[in-house]
Amino acid sequence: MSKRTSRRDFIKKSVAATTGIFVIPHIIPASALGINSVTAPSDRVVMGAIGTGSQGTSNMRDFLQLGNAVQFVALCDVDSNNLARAKGIVDTAYKNSDCRTYGDFREFLAKEKLDAVSIALPDHWHGIIYTEAVNNKLHVYGEKPICRTIKDGQTIVAAVKRNNIIWQTGSWQRSLPNFRRGAELAINGRAGKINYIEVGLPDGGGGIGTPPVKEVPPELNWEMWLGPAPRVAYRGVSHWNWRWILDYSGGQLTDWAGHHIDIANWGAGLEHTGPVEISGAGVYPAEGIYNVPVEYDFLCKYANGIQMRVANASRLKLGMGTTWYGDRGWIHTDRGNRLSASDPKILEEVIGENEIHLYKSENHWQNFIDCVHSGNQAIAPVEVAYHAISVGLLGEIAMTTGQTIHWDPEKEEITGNPRASRLLSRPYRQPWTLPNV
Amino acid sequence: MKKQYLITLLAALLITVIPSCKKGTIYKTLIISDQSDNDRTTSAAIVRQILDETGMFNCTVMTTPAKAEDMSAFSPNFSRYKLVVLDYAGEVWPEKTTAAFTDYLNNGGGVVVCNPKSDPISGPSDTVTVSKRKDFEIRTVVFDHPVTKGLPVRWLHASDELVHGVNVGGENVQILATASSGAAFSGTGRREPVLFSRNYGKGRIFTTLIGTPDGGENTALHCTGFIVTLQRGAEWAASGSVTREVPFDFPTAAGVVLRPDFREIDLEDAFANIGNYDIPKSTRYFIWLQSQIRKAAGNEETLLMLEKKMDGVLTNKEATVEAKKLILRELSWMGTDYSVPVIKSLESVPELRDDMEYALARLQITDN
Repeated sequence: MSKRTSRRDFIKKSVAATTGIFVIPHIIPASALGINSVTAPSDRVVMGAIGTGSQGTSNMRDFLQLGNAVQFVALCDVDSNNLARAKGIVDTAYKNSDCRTYGDFREFLAKEKLDAVSIALPDHWHGIIYTEAVNNKLHVYGEKPICRTIKDGQTIVAAVKRNNIIWQTGSWQRSLPNFRRGAELAINGRAGKINYIEVGLPDGGGGIGTPPVKEVPPELNWEMWLGPAPRVAYRGVSHWNWRWILDYSGGQLTDWAGHHIDIANWGAGLEHTGPVEISGAGVYPAEGIYNVPVEYDFLCKYANGIQMRVANASRLKLGMGTTWYGDRGWIHTDRGNRLSASDPKILEEVIGENEIHLYKSENHWQNFIDCVHSGNQAIAPVEVAYHAISVGLLGEIAMTTGQTIHWDPEKEEITGNPRASRLLSRPYRQPWTLPNV
Repeated sequence: MKKQYLITLLAALLITVIPSCKKGTIYKTLIISDQSDNDRTTSAAIVRQILDETGMFNCTVMTTPAKAEDMSAFSPNFSRYKLVVLDYAGEVWPEKTTAAFTDYLNNGGGVVVCNPKSDPISGPSDTVTVSKRKDFEIRTVVFDHPVTKGLPVRWLHASDELVHGVNVGGENVQILATASSGAAFSGTGRREPVLFSRNYGKGRIFTTLIGTPDGGENTALHCTGFIVTLQRGAEWAASGSVTREVPFDFPTAAGVVLRPDFREIDLEDAFANIGNYDIPKSTRYFIWLQSQIRKAAGNEETLLMLEKKMDGVLTNKEATVEAKKLILRELSWMGTDYSVPVIKSLESVPELRDDMEYALARLQITDN
C-alpha cells in the first residue's frame, strides 16, 4: 500500500518536474526523459484490468492505443480463456510476455502495485470489486452501470470520496462532440426552459429460452463468477447473456442508463440529484430464464418540475437517444453522431462566453489518464454515474412493485414504502459482504 | 373421415354453448363458419372456445350450406346478436343477406373477421398470398386503441402464415399491428397488416389475419397473442371498449407463449402447479405470481392471502427446492412478519440455507 502511494507521489513529482522544477534524478536513463515524444516511464500510468470479456478487452485496447501513456502489467478474470487471450493482446503490444494474470481479484489487488485499474464485470460484482479497488487507493476506470443496487452505488460513491481517487465511468458518450453539444445547447436554454425529457434505450428481446444445466467448462470458475449472487446451476449463461437475468443485471434498461440517462442529466442539470416520484410498468417474459423487463416505460418527476420518461426505444417517437423538450422546442441526440432539433437554427447557436460550457473531453480513456496525472475530476465522475443508474434502478423498483415510488434525493431513501425500500439492497451470499468504506 | 366431419358439424350446429357466466354483460354472439374445408370447422370451434373462456360471450356457431349448394336460404337474423364472428372463406352471400349484414353494422353491430382470404361480400382476393409457416414478430403500431392499449410493442407470434398483399382500405380503418414481410419470408420488405379495426356506420369491425389452423397442433391458435387480441377485439367490436386486462403471459420479443388449453392461469391453477416448479418445464406459474403481487400493490388483504399461499408452498413436502427458492426470493421483499417462522423452519434444509438467509436478511429491513 505504501509503495502504491509513493508511486502516485512520484507521478505528481514528475508532473511538477515538467512544469519548471528541473530536478533530474540520476536513476532515470536519458532515453526515458520524454525527449522525442517518449513518455518517461515514471509518467506512465501503471494499469491492470479486472474482467477481460468483451467490454473489458475493448477498454483495454482503448488504453493500449494511448501508447506509452499507460503500461498494462496485470490482468484478472475468472475465465482462463479470456484471460489468456487478453494477456496475448497486452504481450503482443509490448513485444514481451510480462503481463501477469490472476483468477482471483483479491490476490490481484494484494500483489500488484498499480496506479489504476480498468474494471468491466457483470453488475452484481460491482459493489464489492469497485469498493475494494478504491479502498486500495487505485484510480478506477469502471464500467457502467456502476452498481446493481442503490446500496451498492452509495457504498462505491462513499469509497471514492473517502479515498480521494480519480474515477472515470465508462459513459464514453460524454467524450463525443454531438452529445456534448446537444447537452450544452439544452442546458443553456436553446430549446427554452426544459420541462420534459425522453430517454430511449434498446428494446429487450432475443430470448435465451431455458438452456439445460451443463457441466461447467474447465476454463470457468463458476463459483467465483456468481460471487455474491445466489447459487444456481450452470446453464451456459455467463458472458454477455448475464444481461437478461435479474440476479446480475436489470436488462437493457440498466445496461444503457449510464449512457442516455447520463446524457439527459448532463443537459438538464440533474447530475447531482434524483427524481422524487417514479411510476411505470415493465413487460416481463412469461417463459424462460430471461426475467428482466423486455419492455419498460416509466416516468420520473423531479423536484424542479422536470419530468423524464424512460422507455424502450420502440415506444418513443424519436426512438433511441435523449430528447430534451423545452418551452420553445426540442433537441435530440443519439449515437451515429446524431444531433437534431425542432428548428435547425437551434443547432447553429453559439454559446456565449458567460454561459455554461460543459466539460470537454475528446478521448474518454485519455481524459482518465490526464486526470490521474493532474488530479482533476474526470468527465464522468462517480456521483454523476450514480445519479444516472439510480434513475434506472428506481424505475426497476417501481415496475417490480407495481407502485409509484417516492424518493428523497437528499436523504437517498424511499419514503413510506417499506417493501420497496427492501429492494434498495440485496443480501450477499456468504462469504461475500459489501466492504466497509 | 366424412362421417366424423358430419358429426363435428352437427355438434357445432346443435350445441349452443352457455359459458360459465361471470358478472358483467354477456354478448350474444353468432359465429359463422363455412363448409369449404375442415380447417374452418376446426378454427370456428377454437374461436368459440377462446371467446367462451372470457365468460363474456354467449356463442352460437352457424355453418353455411356447402360449396355449390343453394345459398339463397342462408339468412341469419343478425339483429339478434351483439357480435357476429366470421370465420369464413366460402362463397359470396346472397344479396339480401349481405344487405341485412350491412344494416346490422350500420345499426351498431359488432363484427370480428378471422383470416379473411376472401370475404362474404366481395368474394376472394387475387392479390393475397400466404407465406410459409413460421414464428414471426408482430409490432403493435397503435397504442391508444382499446384493443391494443397496453400490449407490448414487439411480440413473437407462433408458427403461422403471414398474409401478404391484403389491401386494407376504406374510411375509419386503423391498422393496429403489423409484421414485416422481409427477408425471412422472401417477401417485399413491406410491413403487412396483421390486426386492423374499422368503424362502419354505428358498428365496429375487428379483423385478425393471424391464427390459421395447420391441420395438426394448430399452434398459431394457441398463441397467447392471437387468443388475447381476439378476445379484446371481440369485446371492442361488441361494445366499443375493452375491460379485459392485458394478461401476464402476453408474448414478448423474448419468445412465443402458448396456452395449451386456451385458458388463462388462475389462482387455483397457479398454486396447484407452482410447487412442481421445474425451470425447464415452465416458468409461467411463478411469473403469474409476480404479476399478481404487482397487481395487488397497496391491497394488504390480497397480499396476505398470496403470502399465506406462498408459505403453503414452503411447508409443502412435495414442493420442489427450485419452487421454494423462488418463493423465498419473492417473500424477501413482499413478505411480512407472518412468514418469518415458516422461513425459519427451513433451516434444516441445506439446499435452502442461502435462500433462507437471503429472505430473512431482507425481511428484517422493515424501517426506512
